Amino acid sequence: MDEQLFDLYDREKRLLAEGPAIIESGDAIEIRAFAERLFERFSKVVRENEDLTRHSDRQEQRLVKLNQNLKTQTRELDQRKTELENLSRQLAKYLPPQIHEALFAGDYDTRIATRRKKLTVFFSDIQGFTQTSENLQPEALTEYLNEYFSEMTQIALAHGATIDKYMGDAMMVFFGDPETLGVREDARACVEMALRMLERLSELQARWRNHGFEHPFEIRIGINTGYCNVGNFGSDQRLSYTIIGGEVNLAQRLESNAEVGGILMSYETWVHVQDMVEVTPRGAIQMKGIARNVQTYLVTGRKQPQQPANYALNHPAGVSIDLDPASLDTLARSQLADQLSDLASRLRTSNE
Amino acid sequence: MSTPADLQITATERTPEIQLSASNGLFSMKGESYPEDVAAFYGQIVHAVEQLPSVLNKPLEADIAMIYINSSSIKAIFRIFEGFEAVRRAGQPVTVRWHYTDDDDIMQELGEDFKDRFPDLSIEVKAS
Repeated sequence: MDEQLFDLYDREKRLLAEGPAIIESGDAIEIRAFAERLFERFSKVVRENEDLTRHSDRQEQRLVKLNQNLKTQTRELDQRKTELENLSRQLAKYLPPQIHEALFAGDYDTRIATRRKKLTVFFSDIQGFTQTSENLQPEALTEYLNEYFSEMTQIALAHGATIDKYMGDAMMVFFGDPETLGVREDARACVEMALRMLERLSELQARWRNHGFEHPFEIRIGINTGYCNVGNFGSDQRLSYTIIGGEVNLAQRLESNAEVGGILMSYETWVHVQDMVEVTPRGAIQMKGIARNVQTYLVTGRKQPQQPANYALNHPAGVSIDLDPASLDTLARSQLADQLSDLASRLRTSNE
Repeated sequence: MSTPADLQITATERTPEIQLSASNGLFSMKGESYPEDVAAFYGQIVHAVEQLPSVLNKPLEADIAMIYINSSSIKAIFRIFEGFEAVRRAGQPVTVRWHYTDDDDIMQELGEDFKDRFPDLSIEVKAS
């Protein structure tokens, strides 16, 4: 057999190729011998074909069974996936969204590990909560408190905050981990969030009063920027992603020193937001664990954007002037003033 | 010493490992068989086995342990078994051990089919 010309059916094909000439010869002996060889080969092919067909059927049955198993497994996996998605949605309510996303993406390291990082820390607390809660039915208190936390949380998340925890009526969030826009932008986002919270709370207070909540919640806010320890604290069995350190305590202290409905921030936060908010300096405070005296600032409102002193003149005679003096230097302004003065004099004399 | 009938073919994802030593009277075939070109792969093996009757001077022992074989490969293995049959007719005893994994009824039944088809060969179908 020629190795290069091997064909699975080479012997059958060779036999068939001999056929026409032998039949054409009309030689009965040759035809008989050919018929015998043909019969023998055909018998083998039939037997082989039987075996192959049987084997093929068995393989097919196995494939059908595998396919059925695969469908069952896919159904089970879909069910498991739905269960996991539901679980994930429930878990998301207990975890900071950034941590939740990182955990489910497989990017989060759950080892006990912390690092020092400059963060902006926010504390808020409901003023006189204990007394307020005594004046309300528990059902109403729950409803108002849930609404308050839902609204504040929504604002916090919209500003990119990491919600650390709720502690009774207090809320602790921070900016700068696990995601950061840089220390300055993190501080600005935090202060903007705090302003938006107070604005929204004011709207809620109006609505609550209409619903019979006579003395609705009022809050105090403290904000500080500084180096904190951030990461997973606890044990291998139970971890808490949180922040600790003197700067965190300072934020809480600022909150307790703030006025009702006000934001008290440290100098370290103020330097990043001084163009955003109007402030009144308050006294310096001292904190255990912090060597410096901390200068504090009470936020009195947003800074109004400077209105450019533009001048516009439209006269029916077709004279139009649109002037932005800030775009001119001193010499140019002086030259323009002279020209306009000269023009005014000529206009007056032309009437005489 | 190697003869023209000797073969050493390493297994691939689609083809089995093949070893043939005429001087030791050993043949083995292990793995899966669904080559892209069955004729090209099995041509060399069928060619070597068909030379055995003229070069073999001792009994032949063959071990076949396959996991999957497609239909074209079975047709080629028939040719290998026909080669074994020719060795037997030339006067050397041939022993074939057809191995299958314990729960693989397809390979077990295929081994039984070969046993039925080549009754003059000593074929043992065994789970391993």
